[in-house]
Amino acid sequence: MTATLLSRHAESSFWLARYLERAESMARILEAHSSFQRGRDGQSWAWIIALYSDQNDFYGKYTEANAANVISYYVTQLENPSSIQASIRAARENARALRPLISTDMWTQLNDFYNRILGLGAGDFSENRLSRSCDTIKRGCYAEIGVAESTLYRDESWPFFRLGLFIERADQTSRLLDVQFAQRATGIGSYAPEQQAALWNALLRSASAYHSYRRVHLRGVDPSDVARFLIFDTRLPRSIAFCAGEIQRMVSQLRGEFHLRNAQRAFERVEGFQADLQMAAKNEALLEDLHGFNDWAQRELIALTAELGTAFFGHPLETASPETTPTHTKPSGPGGQVQSQSGSSGQVQTQA
Amino acid sequence: MATVTVLRNPGMTATLDEYDPGSSFCELLGNPENPNQDLTKLWHRLQQMELTDLAARAKDAERELFMLGITFTVYSDRNAIDRILPFDVIPRVITASDWALIDAGIKQRVKALNLFIWDVYHDRHIFNDGTIPADLVFGNVNFRKEMVDYDPPAGTYIHVAGTDIIRDETGRFLVLEDNSRTPSGVSYVVENRHLIQRAFPDLMDGFAIESVSDYGLRLAMKLAEVAPPVLTEAQIVLLSPGVFNSAYFEHIFLAREMGVPLVEGRDLFLENDRVFMKTVAGPTPVHVIYRRINDDFLDPECFNKDSLLGVPGLMRAVRKGNVTLANAVGTGIADDKAVYAYVPRIIRYYLDEEPILPNVETYICREPRALAYTLDNLDKLVVKPVGESGGYGICVGPKATKAEIDECRDRLKKDPSNYIAQPMINLSVCPTLVGDAVEPRHVDLRPFAVTGRETWVMPGGLTRVALPKGSIVVNSSQGGGTKDTWVLKADGVAKGDDR
Repeated sequence: MTATLLSRHAESSFWLARYLERAESMARILEAHSSFQRGRDGQSWAWIIALYSDQNDFYGKYTEANAANVISYYVTQLENPSSIQASIRAARENARALRPLISTDMWTQLNDFYNRILGLGAGDFSENRLSRSCDTIKRGCYAEIGVAESTLYRDESWPFFRLGLFIERADQTSRLLDVQFAQRATGIGSYAPEQQAALWNALLRSASAYHSYRRVHLRGVDPSDVARFLIFDTRLPRSIAFCAGEIQRMVSQLRGEFHLRNAQRAFERVEGFQADLQMAAKNEALLEDLHGFNDWAQRELIALTAELGTAFFGHPLETASPETTPTHTKPSGPGGQVQSQSGSSGQVQTQA
Repeated sequence: MATVTVLRNPGMTATLDEYDPGSSFCELLGNPENPNQDLTKLWHRLQQMELTDLAARAKDAERELFMLGITFTVYSDRNAIDRILPFDVIPRVITASDWALIDAGIKQRVKALNLFIWDVYHDRHIFNDGTIPADLVFGNVNFRKEMVDYDPPAGTYIHVAGTDIIRDETGRFLVLEDNSRTPSGVSYVVENRHLIQRAFPDLMDGFAIESVSDYGLRLAMKLAEVAPPVLTEAQIVLLSPGVFNSAYFEHIFLAREMGVPLVEGRDLFLENDRVFMKTVAGPTPVHVIYRRINDDFLDPECFNKDSLLGVPGLMRAVRKGNVTLANAVGTGIADDKAVYAYVPRIIRYYLDEEPILPNVETYICREPRALAYTLDNLDKLVVKPVGESGGYGICVGPKATKAEIDECRDRLKKDPSNYIAQPMINLSVCPTLVGDAVEPRHVDLRPFAVTGRETWVMPGGLTRVALPKGSIVVNSSQGGGTKDTWVLKADGVAKGDDR
């Protein structure tokens, strides 16, 4: 069969990867923060909420941003679309829609992972066991992405899978970099210098970048160096520049190898993003307006997602108005709104 | 029972020693007067297996089905629960000569039913001489006026048929029901075989079994035969209601095996009465739709206006001959339980042949004499509503309580034409693993027939087994399970296909 990929399947492929990456990132952040937190005062869990701009929703459900509440909100709250369990459930729903195209190995791995993670309760995420459970989640996500890498047929669904993966990862890294802003927003802006260093350390670790950073920067941990490392180092798989490079490769593949004319606008947008990124690299005072940079990066990624939506996923044109999208709108996708109870209705995905 | 005693190994206890099919025909023992050597071989092989080993491997097999997601979905109040269909590891075997009869009988039946549907939607000859009462068909909710004078390619309406066949206590095969709309279950036939191949290679070793693994390929080829004339290769798609449908697993299975896109209504649209699917490269033409959606939901312009599952305007494309639906719309008139009673007459009328596979004797309660007989013999008869499927609303007289019979009588009197009655057939049994013992359980058989220009019947079919002791209701919604079904090759030589 030479049939080209259904728009709906392309979108599911994109969101399958995004949700896996989102679950993994959340596990990284919680784990890194929990180890940073050990032996310090118990109040600073609040900045994670600020990081994801979830203040309104969170304080509608809880009164206090303590460890138990924040962890429950971001791990087991299925009503919170960015919680780990909700992300994995959404990943599985997208895989289910994509089941006719993905390998049996990819499906059974995810199905098994889903059953295990959804079976975990609050006790598995108590502070003592959080690290181990986060590790299980990370490994499950690695395994699924790895099975995709070794078994997924390389038709158009592959570039869409990779686009989802790297757009989400770039977004997550830029959020992570916004930690200072988030701290100020929650009134924690007054860490002593050695605590600030420990925090940037934790950031590096949560991006699995600590030892790479050590190899490049022989002196101590300098906030500006860390930020630049996480943004511009094209050899670091979680840096924004690395992700941008992969995004560009995938969009070129859609345009070139698969002859999809609709890829042209997305391609131009990614080129623009790359050029602006290089400009930003020359900005000596980047750290002073890191929040502005992150804001821009996240807006660009939202706009790119919208462009993919109109070009390939069959979304109507009017949804592509990124300029009016609020800065901290959480990118969330089809699976996030999956209702397990729509009976006979075929609507798996509603667009955010 | 004599046969069982003969097969017993004196001095040792073994798996099947306690097995006693009673008065039912046993699929594994076969005809006691004329024992089949392959059946005897399988019997001895099962005898040599340890019950605990059999049970342990059965558990592994069920776990594997769950992991593979070979499930159907049960919706409770808040949650969707994925369940596997219970799978019994002891296969049901059909000998080559028995299969030859079934194969010919099903082909005959499908041919006659296709001619019947053509006649209903064209000249209506069969009603002129009173072979069938006209109101039975034209007053039927499944009659679709949109199909009048439409000529389906090759005259085929029923591209996929599932014929439910049972066996009485003498071993005679009888047709219990025709499924001419969207019969399901074929995925289990193939998956059950693969499972047995992985988990019980020692059980299959040395048997020459007909292959079932090329079903998807055959189906795609048959559907290509009925595609509208196109310059390029015909684009076939499978249309599913979506991930929330309880048979979604089967839709995935079929799309993968056929190598065609699994689409939903929202993936398709019409332009100039042609059907297109939305792809990343833009609109792509579609020529054949194997639809797993009921008529009602297919086209909101013609049928259920509120349907979100269908494709608005689809019937216009069908009537212009731009797209072929499989099965065609309006085949429901051929698998109605009341029309079923007339199928032997339909076969004689169109083919001038005697039915190869007889029906179960059926009393049509819309006829006064049949109603009177039914009311007098409720304790001996099985009464079924004509419009229901899935085993709902059935009253099994010999097993019912007095209150249930009284309730059935009331329903019958209120609306006699909604019911048929049949004598209770003592269904054949198969040895079945129940807990830690092997016991007889009643089975039926649903072979699948695929028709393009000609009919091909997949050798085998879905053997459904009623798991509760004594139950004769095999439907999955009523506690039914499935078995692998082996059709033995005529020449008896293992050619390697499915061993």
